[in-house]
Amino acid sequence: MPSLVDMLLNPSFWFSVLRVTTPIIFAAIAALITDKAGIMNISMEGTMLFSALAGTIVSALTQSAWIGLLGAMAAGVLLSLTLAYFTLELKTDVILGGVAINLFADGGSIFILYLLTGDKGTSVSLASKVLPSVTIPLIDKIPVLGAIISGHNALTYIAAATVFAVYFMLKSTPLGLKIRAVGENSSAAQSVGVSAKKIQYLSLALSGLIASLGGAYMSMAYLPNFSRNMTSGRGWIALAAEAMGQGGVLATSAASLVFGFADAMANALQMFSLPAELVGIIPYVATVIGLILYSVRIKNAKKRRGASKKPL
Amino acid sequence: MKNIKKTSFLLALILFAASAFSGCAKAPEPQAGTQPSYKAVLLVPGTLGDKSFFDAANAGMQKAKSELGIETKVIEMGTDKTKYEPTFRDVCAQDWDLIISGSADMTDMFNEFSLEYPDQSFLNYDATTDAVNSNIYSVGYAANELSYLAGAVAALATTSSVSGMNPEARIGFIGGMDIPGINDFLVGYIKGAQDVNPEVKVVISYAQDFTNPGKGKELALNQYSFGADVIFSAAGGTGMGVLDAALEKGLYAIGVDSDQALLFKSSDEKKASQIITSAIKQIDMVIFNGIKAGMDGTLPVGSYKLVSFKDQGVGIARNEYYDKIMPAELKAKVDEIEKNLIDGKVAVPSIVGMPQEELDAMRDAVK
Repeated sequence: MPSLVDMLLNPSFWFSVLRVTTPIIFAAIAALITDKAGIMNISMEGTMLFSALAGTIVSALTQSAWIGLLGAMAAGVLLSLTLAYFTLELKTDVILGGVAINLFADGGSIFILYLLTGDKGTSVSLASKVLPSVTIPLIDKIPVLGAIISGHNALTYIAAATVFAVYFMLKSTPLGLKIRAVGENSSAAQSVGVSAKKIQYLSLALSGLIASLGGAYMSMAYLPNFSRNMTSGRGWIALAAEAMGQGGVLATSAASLVFGFADAMANALQMFSLPAELVGIIPYVATVIGLILYSVRIKNAKKRRGASKKPL
Repeated sequence: MKNIKKTSFLLALILFAASAFSGCAKAPEPQAGTQPSYKAVLLVPGTLGDKSFFDAANAGMQKAKSELGIETKVIEMGTDKTKYEPTFRDVCAQDWDLIISGSADMTDMFNEFSLEYPDQSFLNYDATTDAVNSNIYSVGYAANELSYLAGAVAALATTSSVSGMNPEARIGFIGGMDIPGINDFLVGYIKGAQDVNPEVKVVISYAQDFTNPGKGKELALNQYSFGADVIFSAAGGTGMGVLDAALEKGLYAIGVDSDQALLFKSSDEKKASQIITSAIKQIDMVIFNGIKAGMDGTLPVGSYKLVSFKDQGVGIARNEYYDKIMPAELKAKVDEIEKNLIDGKVAVPSIVGMPQEELDAMRDAVK
């Protein structure tokens, strides 16, 4: 019987870490972009779920996985723009708006699925398409590393590319600077001619776009069809990962990997002599620690803000 | 200020729409023209579309509607358990000939409400206790016997010449949660496998979730790479991921509650060919026969019945994929084991009354 060490030395374990992390990383980066623009967007779970359904439907209708992916992206952006409209135009509390999006996606996705297929559970009756897996030439020949890095679904590589693109965008482009400026102090940004509303609209749309890729991964890569509530809390774990990352793109990605590792670990450890209940709490303990770090961070931020403000 | 009012109204509207969607229940219209004389209602403690447990109950209702010409209604109560009791009470106050539901949550409610509404008749199609009041007919399934046969199939197949199988006698089990309802499947599965091959090992995982196919897939991939070639999953929607993992690895799965290979027959033939068989509770037949007996006035209210192989209340799917995957001599062995179950020659352990230590010992014995 293989031991724990064997498991950790097995490339397929590390491969599964990346596979489990992919949807979390998309959602965490999506949350980070709006956070940078000063909006606490908690609608990742709903956006992912809805995009997952949209991707399945569009790919089944067009018989093309890539057009399906575009459909998922459109759905994600649309949902985020809805949230943006409520938050920025109608001044709804963004948390309530996020809750509404999540509730809507939960029930609404089942409703739409039922209208189209007559089925309330899964989309197995739709002949939807799956995005291809990619074998990276040369790298797949490297022992161990090749087995871990090569052979993932295209979206896993897109996730890695997204991390670096967003890192670069926030750090070194005028748009990134504007987003950060609006997030830090929107009045100051506006005083130099940056439209805070426009930037926040844009960041929410980007956030929806990236979260939708996570959704598409669930129904068009990880699994070949949509099933109800299939995101199963990954959008919430992503929020915790973003919190643990404390606003840094690379740190958030690293935190997502920690959660992915915890989850993969929990899956694999069950086969050893550990009780399921104990192993099952690993991802949740990791989440709670993440959320504690987050609230500490908020508290410190409040203190800082409070200190810089002159008493009235 | 005006904006805020407008916003909160819109938000309220969205919330309302969302909750309306999630709780939405479509009631089949009674057939026009003829006036059905018998009315039966099914209360689903969850939502349809699980491809197994609830859908099977709904199938029984639809069969009764089309073949017996009665008026039926299916109410999906959703996942919010606080809604079950008021819904149940509403239904009890209405004019139904038979009120049907099942599961652990509902069994308690049955026993409580049947006293309050002594004039109603109730059918509990999946009871978790044999205690019944005088106006309830309760049915339980010998899930342990059913999975005993599933375990035998898995243990026979894993060391056979079926393509893709490794020589190791290792099989897998994925449960939705570590709870008695699921472990009743597990203990039967282990015993069934052991009786075929005393050396058999069983890898056991629990998903802690009935609607997380992603998790189901990860657990299954782990089990397959651990050397298990056949996995039996009793995990609701989570099990869909197990079936997908079977396809990805070219290895095998055993479905649960309804014939899961048939679900994929038209849309994904390849996946269907990895599902050796399914462990089926004949929920639809129990409901259909219950309604029929109710119409004839012969429903044995006030009694509990445990249906097993003897009553054809449980069984494994013997479809074209089973025929194709399983070699003839193994099929003959499975038939023989089933015959022994029917004749009551096998003592299958049950989770009912089993102390935790004994369950742990069973699990440890096959590690």
